[in-house]
Amino acid sequence: MLENDFPNALQWRPDPVVLDAKVAEAKQKLLDSIKRSVYVYRVDCGGCNGCEIEIFSTITAAFDAERFGIKVVPSPRHADLLIYTGAMTRAMREPALRAYHAAPDPKIVMSYGACGCTGGIFHDNYCVWGGTDPILPVDVYVPGCPPSPPATIFGFATALGILDQKLHASHHVAPAGEQAPVAFPAIPYKVRTAFEREARRMSGYYYGKQIVDEFMLALTKDKVDALGAADALIAAETDTRKRAVFMDLKALLVSKVVDE
Amino acid sequence: MLKLFKEIRKAGDATTGYPFEPLEMPAGFRGKPEHNEKLCIACSACAIACPANAITMELDDKQSRITWDISYGRCIFCGRCQEVCPLFAIELTGDFELAVLNKDDLRESCSYEVACCSRCGKPYASAKEVDYARRVLESVGGTAAADIEKVDLCLDCRRFDDAEAFAHQAPERGEA
Repeated sequence: MLENDFPNALQWRPDPVVLDAKVAEAKQKLLDSIKRSVYVYRVDCGGCNGCEIEIFSTITAAFDAERFGIKVVPSPRHADLLIYTGAMTRAMREPALRAYHAAPDPKIVMSYGACGCTGGIFHDNYCVWGGTDPILPVDVYVPGCPPSPPATIFGFATALGILDQKLHASHHVAPAGEQAPVAFPAIPYKVRTAFEREARRMSGYYYGKQIVDEFMLALTKDKVDALGAADALIAAETDTRKRAVFMDLKALLVSKVVDE
Repeated sequence: MLKLFKEIRKAGDATTGYPFEPLEMPAGFRGKPEHNEKLCIACSACAIACPANAITMELDDKQSRITWDISYGRCIFCGRCQEVCPLFAIELTGDFELAVLNKDDLRESCSYEVACCSRCGKPYASAKEVDYARRVLESVGGTAAADIEKVDLCLDCRRFDDAEAFAHQAPERGEA
């Protein structure tokens, strides 16, 4: 365990910017009446530039955030909305604060990306002070690594109060004695895991699962002739790569069940 | 000029209709990880695999419940949790609308009952996981199901048993 008795002066104490009550009121008033046309300035506090690339994708023709009057501006003095991307690093704290104070009140602050929200994958780095919220009053959090352009548009819409947020905190308490079902109970456990392993070895965890599920579903459907069902599945498949995996799985079925 | 307008009309509209109409993300898009509480056995495989520590498992103070917790704000949507989950209880969906106004809304948690070792009484795994392991071993049968009552023991007690069995076999091996 780390010793945690550093001198108090060396401990990091965040002094978050507190929003003035008058400014907050004005901001709410403007948000209620305008709901569009915000000028956006992005502040990179120490990210990998993935978020910047997605912001630029958002203002291109395919997603076109300028439909809503959202424009990326080159100076915080023109900005209504500040996008903070990247984890708040020790070195970029001052520039981030300067950008915040340079923007005219009232302004919206958006934490963008996993690093901007909580520090993301860099949260335990020595020079990272967490996300944007330890030092600035954040209005909207847009998670993602990086957030895709539609997620960015949704973030803008949430920030401007056009769309409601869909995610809500939830806590589920599992009831006592709840049983987790075993998948494909008709197929012996060892055979099923062998299938899954082989399919994942052949085509990765994502497509492997889809392929093995399809294969096992076909096997369990036909209760009389499992080999015939596998043959029918192979014959019906047009994708040669997928057929190769099916044939592999059928060979495994023969070696595991029929021969033993 | 008219020709240009005709040309533009022919080219059509490249801009997506989102957010005025729903947007279908392509297959394989890694969006919000959806946790299926019923399927989950709280085995912690996802918490160990998660490179960003977005998924955590925590035992409460009374050591009676273990809580699975995800922070979507920290998640990097890599899909490692989906890859390691033995029951396919967590899956990355096409849901990308994750923006929230309140940071607390980025958390989701689920608490499970903890099983205690039948000998020493220490908590060692979630009750659901122990139950699942027992049912799987029963279904496999053979040598795997021979010492099925050992699923109720914690790792330390099982090691102790193994060491004792090894010591008992010493004369047979000629080690006296």
